[in-house]
Amino acid sequence: MIVILFFLTLFLASIAAGALGSIVGIGGGLIVIPILTLFLGVDIHYAIGASIVSIIATSSGAAATYVKDRITNLRIGMFLETGTTTGAIIGAAVAAYLSAVVLEAIFGTILIISLVPLVRKIGEEYPPKQQLQGLAKKLSLRGDYTEPDGRKIEYNATNPGKGLAGMLVAGLISGLLGIGSGTFKVLSMDLAMKLPMKVSTTTSNFMIGVTAAASAGIYFARGDVNPLITAPVALGILIGASIGTHFLVRAKNTAIRKIFALVLAASAIELIIRALGF
Amino acid sequence: MNRILGIVLRVGVLLSGGVIAIGTTLFVADHSLDDTSSYLQYNPGFIPHGNFPVSLASIASGLISLDPFSIIALGFLVLLATPIARVALSLFLFAAEKNRMFVYLTATVLAILLFSMLATPLIPLFNG
Repeated sequence: MIVILFFLTLFLASIAAGALGSIVGIGGGLIVIPILTLFLGVDIHYAIGASIVSIIATSSGAAATYVKDRITNLRIGMFLETGTTTGAIIGAAVAAYLSAVVLEAIFGTILIISLVPLVRKIGEEYPPKQQLQGLAKKLSLRGDYTEPDGRKIEYNATNPGKGLAGMLVAGLISGLLGIGSGTFKVLSMDLAMKLPMKVSTTTSNFMIGVTAAASAGIYFARGDVNPLITAPVALGILIGASIGTHFLVRAKNTAIRKIFALVLAASAIELIIRALGF
Repeated sequence: MNRILGIVLRVGVLLSGGVIAIGTTLFVADHSLDDTSSYLQYNPGFIPHGNFPVSLASIASGLISLDPFSIIALGFLVLLATPIARVALSLFLFAAEKNRMFVYLTATVLAILLFSMLATPLIPLFNG
């Protein structure tokens, strides 16, 4: 393929990936990796290298808006990030000794199973108000944000221990498989900690950038971040992410959860297909 | 402080996007009709795999000669710095709030982050 066509294809696909990623709190890898490997015949290592940069681009590209609108919960994000980064380092260290195929199959299955509780609360706009107690109270894991119609939504986090455990697993998966595992982060905050969906996806958006930055140096030094592939991806994602943020701010939580459920199903299928070796 | 955080993020994103766009434009101007296969070869036996700059020194020397790939890599580095700057600024944010618990938590995250960025490429175990 000639350079200009390669650039344009990737650039346009990445705009879509950035928009979707910034709304549901995941990096763009779900869209970018299969386009690179299946349609453009790029080596999986280069695809993952581009995906790591795309995660950071999604996170930072969306962050400016989410910080301004105060939807991201920095305290909850920072608390959970201790688990994710620790998990990521452990994962990267032991990755060489574990089978990627088995891991992909296990993780894909976990994602499919988690569709059940997610679909059960698919129509829930706001979680029922939780009692702030224990560790959540000590760390003041609560917050509020303002909907576009001016209503102030207050919420308390529950089960911080379960949430942190979920993040440790999410970090392990990122370190082991080189994927962002934003899906697992959103699931932990939505199902275990019972945060409003917007808060879960935007807080995940914050966290995936930090986790990816932690491992980006390794990929960079190895030479996995190929500028020819990664430049159009990064540019497209940055533009797409800023489009996605405008949607999220105005959207209903139920709409975001529906999109997330579809993305979750798609990423589970993608992982299982990868594990089966297609 | 939240405003400063917003400004830093916005400047970081615009700067990295701009630098990557300049590098990309320079590359496309010269190579728009090249075949991509010569750039996409992956050599599992060699580290680094590609023929593009991967160290700070090679990026710096490439920048002097306006090498497009070095300019793009500089943009990646700016992008990479934004989440780190965000955590570092959060540290000041929590310190200003006198929220001691979160100063510790954030310092922990920052320490893990800097460890994995600076130390892990040097540890053979992590180079899989």
